Amino acid sequence: MNEKNHIDPRGPRFGAGITTVISLLAFAASLENSALAYSILVVLAVLFTWSVLSAKTHPFSLLFKRFVQPKIAPPKELEDPRPPRFAQQVGLSFALLGIIGGLIAPVLISISAAFIFLAAFLNAFFGLCLGCQMYLAIRRFGFIR
Amino acid sequence: MNTTLLITLGLLLVAVIAGATYKFFHGRGHKVVGNECVDLTKLRADKNGDPVLEFGSKATLLMFSTKYCGQCPGVRRALAKLEHRHGTLLFIEADITDRLDLAAHFNITQTPTVFVLDPQGKIRYRLGGTPKPGVIETELTKLGVK
Repeated sequence: MNEKNHIDPRGPRFGAGITTVISLLAFAASLENSALAYSILVVLAVLFTWSVLSAKTHPFSLLFKRFVQPKIAPPKELEDPRPPRFAQQVGLSFALLGIIGGLIAPVLISISAAFIFLAAFLNAFFGLCLGCQMYLAIRRFGFIR
Repeated sequence: MNTTLLITLGLLLVAVIAGATYKFFHGRGHKVVGNECVDLTKLRADKNGDPVLEFGSKATLLMFSTKYCGQCPGVRRALAKLEHRHGTLLFIEADITDRLDLAAHFNITQTPTVFVLDPQGKIRYRLGGTPKPGVIETELTKLGVK
């Protein structure tokens, strides 16, 4: 991969911070009002898909570039964009689990929102990218190729 | 409403505990008992395009990475710097994105995973994730790397 395509690693973490808030709202909503939680999950799924297809034009990325990046020091190191993109795919699959599974069993909406929240929270606040860490385990057990 | 708030706060608490536990245990590693040696002919690692055929004279650091690994570039730089500082140390990297046989053989579930090998290639120490400062250096000192 070309070095110039590399990204500021704080960008995805900033995005994960926003996802943390949205997914926690989705989780809380899922306990009260399934329809509201369901629509938040659809929004999350759209945002994840957007990240996977075109991370550069993603609204969180634009917010980061416009408001956050100018205020902080230049990045110490740039990062390969593939790990965060893979993590977004994991996020998307969890959102789809809630969206598709939620039609049959509403509890899946809560489970899906809880997983998205956990992954986004750990990424934003602890720098742990669950999706990236899971990549090998998932492949070794043959769920993806 | 109150139950919702409580359950949501509970989830938040779980997340904080999970994160703190991760921070605590991450990057510490542990000693490896047993006599398993890394077989360089099976590992088929290369370094700057040349196949790696010999271990470092005092120690070898073997890092497993994948293309998707976010923390690998930073760890790679840190280990390469160590290698640069100590002539008796060899640093090799194995990309296991398409080498699931290797991942299964060494039971690697996360990248980066770093092995510290002695001069015979025996695995002495293994560490998953980003090494905490000084951990690798301590292991290298035990093997006599100056």
